[in-house]
Parts: sequence; structure tokens; C-alpha cells
Amino acid sequence: MSATLRRLRGANNEGLLVAVIIVVAVAMSIASPAFLSSGTFFALVRSSMVPLIFALGVMLIMISGGIDVSFPAIAIFAAYTTVKWSVDGNLDPGLVLIFVIAMVVGGLLGLFNGVVIARFRLPTLIVTLGTLTMYKGILLTYIGSLYISAGELPGSVTTLSDVHLWDAPSGGYLHFMVVPVVLVAVLIAVMLRWTLFGRSIFAIGGDTEAARRVGIRVVRTQVWLYVLAGGLAAFGGMVFVILGKNANPQSIVGTELDIIAAVVLGGASIFGGRGSVFGTMLGVVLVQLINNNLVLVGIPSTWQRAVVGILLLLGVTAQALGRAGANKRPVMIEKEAEA
Amino acid sequence: MSDPWRDSLKGFNRRVDTAFNKALKRIQVKRGVGRMAFLLFATFVLFAILKPDVFLSAVNLQTIGLVAPEIGLLALAVMMAMMTGGIDLSVVAMANGTAITVSSLYTAVLNSQGQEAAESMTPLILLAGVAVGVALGAINGALISFVGITPILATLGTWQLYNGLALVWTGGITVSGAPSGLTSMGTSAVFGVPVLLLILIAAAVALAVLINRTAIGRKIALQGANPVASKYSGISARSTLMMTYMTSGLLSAIAGLVFLSRSPSASADYGSSYVLLVIVIVVLGGTNPNGGFATVLGVVLAALTLQVVSSGFTAMRLSAYEYAIAQGVILIGVMVLDQTKFKKRKRRRSTDSEEHDALAEATTK
Repeated sequence: MSATLRRLRGANNEGLLVAVIIVVAVAMSIASPAFLSSGTFFALVRSSMVPLIFALGVMLIMISGGIDVSFPAIAIFAAYTTVKWSVDGNLDPGLVLIFVIAMVVGGLLGLFNGVVIARFRLPTLIVTLGTLTMYKGILLTYIGSLYISAGELPGSVTTLSDVHLWDAPSGGYLHFMVVPVVLVAVLIAVMLRWTLFGRSIFAIGGDTEAARRVGIRVVRTQVWLYVLAGGLAAFGGMVFVILGKNANPQSIVGTELDIIAAVVLGGASIFGGRGSVFGTMLGVVLVQLINNNLVLVGIPSTWQRAVVGILLLLGVTAQALGRAGANKRPVMIEKEAEA
Repeated sequence: MSDPWRDSLKGFNRRVDTAFNKALKRIQVKRGVGRMAFLLFATFVLFAILKPDVFLSAVNLQTIGLVAPEIGLLALAVMMAMMTGGIDLSVVAMANGTAITVSSLYTAVLNSQGQEAAESMTPLILLAGVAVGVALGAINGALISFVGITPILATLGTWQLYNGLALVWTGGITVSGAPSGLTSMGTSAVFGVPVLLLILIAAAVALAVLINRTAIGRKIALQGANPVASKYSGISARSTLMMTYMTSGLLSAIAGLVFLSRSPSASADYGSSYVLLVIVIVVLGGTNPNGGFATVLGVVLAALTLQVVSSGFTAMRLSAYEYAIAQGVILIGVMVLDQTKFKKRKRRRSTDSEEHDALAEATTK
């Protein structure tokens, strides 16, 4: 493969993903002329915002070598609890404070995940599966199980629900929330690339023992990572409430597989040490593109789950085959050293 | 007192002593079993004292015996995967696949050839259902062993895929109809013990023999305990993993038949809360989540315990969400407890000179 081609492909197959997205989009516009409209595009942007935030949290955990499935429960727990408090207290603390409260709640739930996982070195999937149902159970039993409609939500939240950044003349609009979402994505990209914390996450995911030996405090970094992931989930949950203009404690949980599929397609490896914000964004766009437009091109909506499953399997197959190729080299070097 | 008599008494005493120590050791080695037997007893007594009128009623006890088998079978399926250091998240989807296959085939034959033909073809229909389960397990096995996908992601993907295909097949609605032989099995009992419970026991015994007494069982355990050592012992990881996930598919398929025998309908979404419950049971039953160790008896006892807790919660009028909280707390509590115990044991052992010698020997080789 020539150098230009390799650069185009990207470190985590981002280039390949762009190509796949273009192929899917072209195929869809051939199957249905209605696909090519600004409405479709802005709907895609709108529906990708919340999954992107969740996916970034999952990606961070995956880079560190774990997997998190508890984020939907943290998201709705934090968002619903915050909204419920302000509704019950009959006060509107303002948008900034609402986000801060939600993210503190989310951070605390993430802290519990982090302490259990890092301190006792337990399998991340099993622990977060446990906390997923635990958090959802606590939310519905002790905090509330009733739907909060637009009329009851704090005024600052409902006002923001209707703020559009830009109304496209040919249909569709860009919601204001795209600004904080993009800002968060950029901040995470910067953090991963240029901060000690970000590099530590990669180091832990690449080789935990090596990371410990170069002086990274593994347990502390992991705990903070889960706190951050919890805070991100809570942020996503609040954006979800604002975009949907209601707070339903039964929502969000059940979407975790779509998000994990997006992150894996985006090139993050479950073995840790690999992943990028750009790749994750592309993964989210691909999954949402298919979820949004299957019906439009004439495939019944019952196919949605199976198609995402196939996508996930294709993504992990590509990764596994790539890894098998990459693994061959070190063995040869070892043999040469022996000779 | 004559000497020979005294000697024989001494000998008898010694024999009792060694037998007792052996038994004690066995309890300690099979860490799941002793603990689970105690927990099952303790939870049963607790709820019997708290709510004797509801909990000890014949209906409630029968319900425990009827619901535990399907959960137990799924738990054994996950246990197999966990023994090799993997996990199988698709067990419930595979069970539903079997149930939907059997139900739709039966209804199709019933509609085209009448009641009699459908009943006479029951064995064939059941066989087709089990074949679907085993085939789905084989797909898991192929993805994990031949393609080399990590079990978490492979079975996460196939969970979504099998569930999605079941949705497409049924159109998202519940399909009804089941062979009458199957449904009558679900309601019958031998000496007061539900037939379904006997099926679980039979499957557990067969699995215990497979794991403890056959070469493939040893291979599965070694694959989980140390894949590298297993590879250098000449064990084919591919065929071992293939076998493991196909067995997991077979057990799930039997669970799917049990679903149908309890109520003659099948849907893609049945038992969606089972995935966590089953993992809780497997870990509680003493299975090492990192592989290499599992006891069938421990897992069966854990399944019964969780079912006792579930019906106890119902008897106390606690909600399904409170039961979900309990599941999460039990899962994390047990893992934390095991981990701290394991660490202590490891620390004690590392001061053992025996291990140092073994280590030295290994490094000089």
C-alpha cells in the first residue's frame, strides 16, 4: 500500500469509514430520491447529537481497555433526577446549574463504577451490566417513575428546546444544542491528544503493567476516567431531555448496543489503546444514517436491529482480521533474535 | 481392653479423620457449592419466616420449580462460555430462536395438514428447533474461534442479530401454538417434582460428567485457565471453543423448549431481563469470570436461590425493580468478596517456598 493511500485510510480506518458512509448515502439516494434533501441531513445531525456524547464516553472507556454498558442508566438517572428536583422544589435554577447538578450526579454514579472496577480489578462488562440495572432500579423505585411533560419542565429547559441556530430555507433546522455537543467533542479530542490524563488513558489501555512502571497512577486515572464517563453520560441525558422536551425515566436504556456498535465501527478496540474522536463520530453517523433512513428506502423497521447487529459484526470482524495481520510481525522478530 | 481392639479403634478414628478432612477440603475447593447450599437454605428460611402464608404455599413452591429450570439452563450455557474465559450474551436470543422455530413450524404443519399430522411430527419439529439453537451456537463459535473476535463483542453482535432476525420473522408480535406433548410436559410432575425441574437436573448431571470426567471438559477448563499453556499442550483452541459455544447453543435451545412448554407462545422479546440475571447466577455459583473454574452444582443451586429470592420478593410485595437492584448488589458484592479472598490466598501462597522453587525451575528451563 502506498503512503498516500495509507494516510487516506487513517490510523483507525477512518478513511474506510468515510468511504462506507458515502457508498451507503449514494445507495440510499438511488433507492429513494426523497433521501437527498436538506431535511434528511439536518435530521441526521439532530439524531446524532445524543448518541455522539454517549459514544465519546464509551470510547474513552474502551481506549482504557474496558467496556461500559451502564451509561444509558447513568444518563437518564442524572437527567431525570435533576429535572425532578427542580419540578418538586418548584424552582428553575437556570441552565448552567441544571447541567452542573446533572453532571455531578452522573459523576458520582461513574465514581461507583470506577471504584469497583479499578480497586478490585473486576471485569468491566459484568460490573457495568450490574450497575446498569441497579441504577435503573433505584431511579424507578426511589426517585420517580412518572413521565414529566413539556408543561412541567423548568422554563429554562423548555425555552432552550425551541432555540434553532439556523433554519435552512429548503427545510430542516440546526438545533442550538449542536454548539455544546461539538464543543465537548473538541475538548475530548484535545484532552486525548495533548494532556497527561489523555495520554495516560492510552497508556493504560495499551499495557497496564507498562503504564504502572512508567509511573502512571493506574487506579486513580481509571477512577477519574469513570467519573468523566459518568459526567458525559449525564450531559448526554440532559441534551436528550432538552431535544425531546420531556423527561421519561423509561427512555434511553435499551439503546446501548447501537452506541457500542458505533464506537467499535469507529475503530476503537476493546483491547484498549486505540480509538479516536473523529472515528467515533463517523461510526455514530453511519449507525444513525441507517437507523433513520431504512424505512425511507423501503426496508421495514423490524429490520433495524438485525442490520445494526450485522454492522457491529462486520466492524469487529474487520478489526479481528486486521489484528491477526498485525500480530504476525513480532513473532518473526522473536525468531530472528533467537537465531 | 485388648490391644487389637484398641488398634482397630485407632485405625477407624484415623479413617474417619481423613474422610472428614477430605470432605472439608472438597467443600473448600468447590468454593461455589458450600456457600450456595448455605445461601439457598438461608434465603428459604428467611422468606419462610417473613411471609409464611404466601411463601410456603403450594402454588409458590411450584412456581419456583417451574421458573428455575429455564433460568438454570441458560445459566449453564453462560457458564460453559465463562469457563473458557469468554462470555455468551446471546443465550436468551438463541433460546427465543428455538422457541419461535418450534412454534411457527408447528402452526404451519397444523394449518396445512391438520392436528394429527402436527402431533405425529412433534419429534421432528422439536429436533429442528434444537438444530436451530445449535447452529446459532456454531455461528458464535466460528466467529470467536476462526475469525478471532473477542467473545464479548462477537456475542454482543449476534445477540443483536439473532434478536433482530427473530423480530423480522415474527414481525414483532407474539406467535402462539406449541405441540401438545410439550405443553403437557410443562404441567406434569413426577412424585410432586415438576418434570421441567427433572430436565434441568438431567442436563446438569450430563454437563457435570462432560466437564469433570471427559477430555473435552479438561480442555475447556485449561483453555480458560491458561490459553498459552493449553496451546503448548497441543490442545486446539479452535475445536475447544467451537465445542463450548455449540454446547452453549444446545443448552439455550433446551431452555427455549422449556419456555414453550410453560406457555404455548413465543416472541423475540421474551426474557429480555434474563441476560443480567443469568450472569448473576453464574458468578454467584462460583464461576471465575476470567475462566478456568466452574461448578455445575454451584450454578444450579445459585439458580434456585435467585428464584427463591425472586418469589420471596413477590411474596413481600416488592417490585420487579427492587429485584433488579438486588441482582446488581448481589453480583457486585459477590465479585468484590471473591476478589478480596482471592488476593489474600495469593499473598499467602506467594510466600510459600514451594512456589518459589517451581518458579526457579521454570525460569532455568
